[in-house]
Amino acid sequence: MSLTTDITEFVLLVVGAMGLSLTAKIEETPEATRIDVEGEDGGVLVRRGGEGLQALQHIVATTFRKQLGDDNRVVIDCNGFRKDKDIELRQMAHFVAEKARASGVPQEMGPLNPYERRIVHLAIAEDPTVTSESIGDAFMKTVIISSKK
Amino acid sequence: MAELQSEGEGGHPLRAVIEVVVRALVDHPDDVRVTESERRGVRVFELRTAPGDMGKIIGRQGRTAAALRTLLAVAAEHQGRRAQLDIKD
Repeated sequence: MSLTTDITEFVLLVVGAMGLSLTAKIEETPEATRIDVEGEDGGVLVRRGGEGLQALQHIVATTFRKQLGDDNRVVIDCNGFRKDKDIELRQMAHFVAEKARASGVPQEMGPLNPYERRIVHLAIAEDPTVTSESIGDAFMKTVIISSKK
Repeated sequence: MAELQSEGEGGHPLRAVIEVVVRALVDHPDDVRVTESERRGVRVFELRTAPGDMGKIIGRQGRTAAALRTLLAVAAEHQGRRAQLDIKD
């Protein structure tokens, strides 16, 4: 049995234990394996900025840390909530980059969690005229986007 | 595209959330003990594990314990109930 199947079954076991009736859809992207749990009961997971979903992500990442290693990423989503947020975040990164380039003044984004910072850094890396770096030493960090001289 | 279905239902006991998550995280799942009681309308769960497993439940900066409490709270909210988790070490 594959690791993705193991993880999906674990996710469904947890949400089932929570009393939520949901269906899992698996999507393999170059970035990560995405497991999206779908259904009406998902509403409660995405409340308050997706607090429940983030907790589920943390539990899955911790439980499967060894098997996943450093190279495999798994993203737990619910009714496309994170996918939509990722798209917004990428658009925001490009917008902030444009502002940094036009003004010549470094711009701040955040504070962001590690997952969000990764999305921002990857979006910025697509653009050769700007750079990004994280500052701070807490879990949440600010990302500075500056134009390259 | 693979599709799998969870077996969620309304009257599911909240302790199942704790048991499923904690047993997956620890080295000694058979030593996981969850007891429960009712205190002023709040379901209170007490969790005990093998001494060496406590750190795994708490996690770095308490993040795993926080995530477990969040999942319990979400499950309770879904069922219109209130719950609390006490980790006993």
